[in-house]
Amino acid sequence: MTKPAILVEGLVKEFDVTHTGYASLKGKLLWWKSKRRERLRAVAGISFSVQPGECVGVVGKNGAGKSTLLGLLARVYKPTSGRMELNGRVAPLLELGAGFHPDLTGIENVFFNGVILGLTRKQVAERLEQIIEFSEIGDYVDAPVRTYSSGMLLRLGFSVAVHVDASILLVDEALAVGDIEFQRKCLRRIAEFQQRGGAILFVSHDMEAVRRAASRVIWMRSGCVEKDGNTEEVLRAYEQSGEHPVGD
Amino acid sequence: MRGSPNAVGGTTCAHVLSELKELYRYRELLWTFVVRELRIRYKNSVLGFFWSILNPLVTVLVMTVVFKYVLGVRVPNYSAYLLAAYLPFMFFQLALLDSAQSILSQLPLLKKIYFPREILPIGSVIANFLHFILAMGVFFVYLLFVWWLNPGENPFRATVVALPMLIVFQFCLTLGLALFISALNTFYEDVKYLVSVGLYLLFFLCPILYFVEQVYAAIHSPDMPQAWQGPLFTAYNLNPIAMLLIGYRKLMLDPQPITVTRTGDVIETHNLPLDWGMLGIAGAVSVLVLLFGYAYFNSVKWKFVERP
Repeated sequence: MTKPAILVEGLVKEFDVTHTGYASLKGKLLWWKSKRRERLRAVAGISFSVQPGECVGVVGKNGAGKSTLLGLLARVYKPTSGRMELNGRVAPLLELGAGFHPDLTGIENVFFNGVILGLTRKQVAERLEQIIEFSEIGDYVDAPVRTYSSGMLLRLGFSVAVHVDASILLVDEALAVGDIEFQRKCLRRIAEFQQRGGAILFVSHDMEAVRRAASRVIWMRSGCVEKDGNTEEVLRAYEQSGEHPVGD
Repeated sequence: MRGSPNAVGGTTCAHVLSELKELYRYRELLWTFVVRELRIRYKNSVLGFFWSILNPLVTVLVMTVVFKYVLGVRVPNYSAYLLAAYLPFMFFQLALLDSAQSILSQLPLLKKIYFPREILPIGSVIANFLHFILAMGVFFVYLLFVWWLNPGENPFRATVVALPMLIVFQFCLTLGLALFISALNTFYEDVKYLVSVGLYLLFFLCPILYFVEQVYAAIHSPDMPQAWQGPLFTAYNLNPIAMLLIGYRKLMLDPQPITVTRTGDVIETHNLPLDWGMLGIAGAVSVLVLLFGYAYFNSVKWKFVERP
């Protein structure tokens, strides 16, 4: 058996929850007045692995810990305990061009995004042609990104992410925008990516998208894996549980 | 996986070394970030980069007019003395104000993707540092121009060769404070207001508009108890940024006889030589501030994204 792309064992992430919801010096100075700190277990000890070439959908209702899981895999959070192993370069798909600066042109933003995803400037320059072509932005690449529509932002962001030669792609509810034509192109690209041995983990509330793309589904419930397996089986159980309103 | 999050590892030294290695691995991103900062700043302005030169020049011009002709400061080539301290202070001020916001403004990005978080404040400091170096270049051209207009003494002193040392000290001090402030401001947004008030006060507590000799004369006036005079002047020099500004002036420019007028009496004070011992202390403090700032930043950087 080959090395798994993602291996997670007993992963736990806890957050401090404050009830005021904002931080200030005053709050800190008056800590003795309201020490109502609680620990929230967003991810409560989960284990799973993803093989190269797999596309795994993660479903669950809001607050089940899906996004936290993705954040842990993207190394945004430090796990409270547990172990994870990622073999290969990880590319989180930045939703709607997070990390794009509105005043910079498309090309300037492509450079920044490419480098942040782990390429060198030289490598970005070599792929620039392909990235622009795939994104279908055309002459707009020289215009500031603030003039872009949300669809264009998504296309450019997606285009950078799939050109960085990552072997693990993390997607958080990002493919919802964009026209049908581009969505098809993305799905084709994702299929190619899988054939080359890339692994995808994607979080979505869109059951149809999950059905179409995922070869396996993990259903999360209050920080734990409720069910993990065949797409159709897990989705049916999930929809019957009443957690997900059917037809949403 | 490199830099495994679970490796709560070994000695502190090995830990710091691995953090530095990680930063080095991301050097390309740091540079890209600096370039981006510079691009954004002048994106929609016609004069672009010249603003970073024009701004201090106009400020100093106004100050010179006010101090020379309204307040009657009689120092030949006062503008040069003003610029020699004002330009380094501007770097200090702008770098701290920029970096204070650097983490907070990029929080949405931080929540999506990993990169060494220190890149943000370091990038802000470097972007402002490049402006400072450029402004210093223009300042030297100005000194040569003044010298060409009335050739006499040298345009600047030979001790100017020690300037890089001062610049390194100031870079350490600024970077250390920037790391500390940017981290703190992410949790407590009051910090940036404290910083801007602090910098405003510091401007007047440092020898920029006036000369250190005037501070010396004021402290050594007959009204001041004798026992306080020494310690008070030492305390003034213990402020590292003040001491560095004194250094900039004295290393570059000729000493000026300063006249202090007090209730009719004209007192001529002698020039104070550059106190290398105090400068050494300022340098040591600067390096310590950098070490402390870096250590504090690293100890809280994983908490930024978990900010309530």
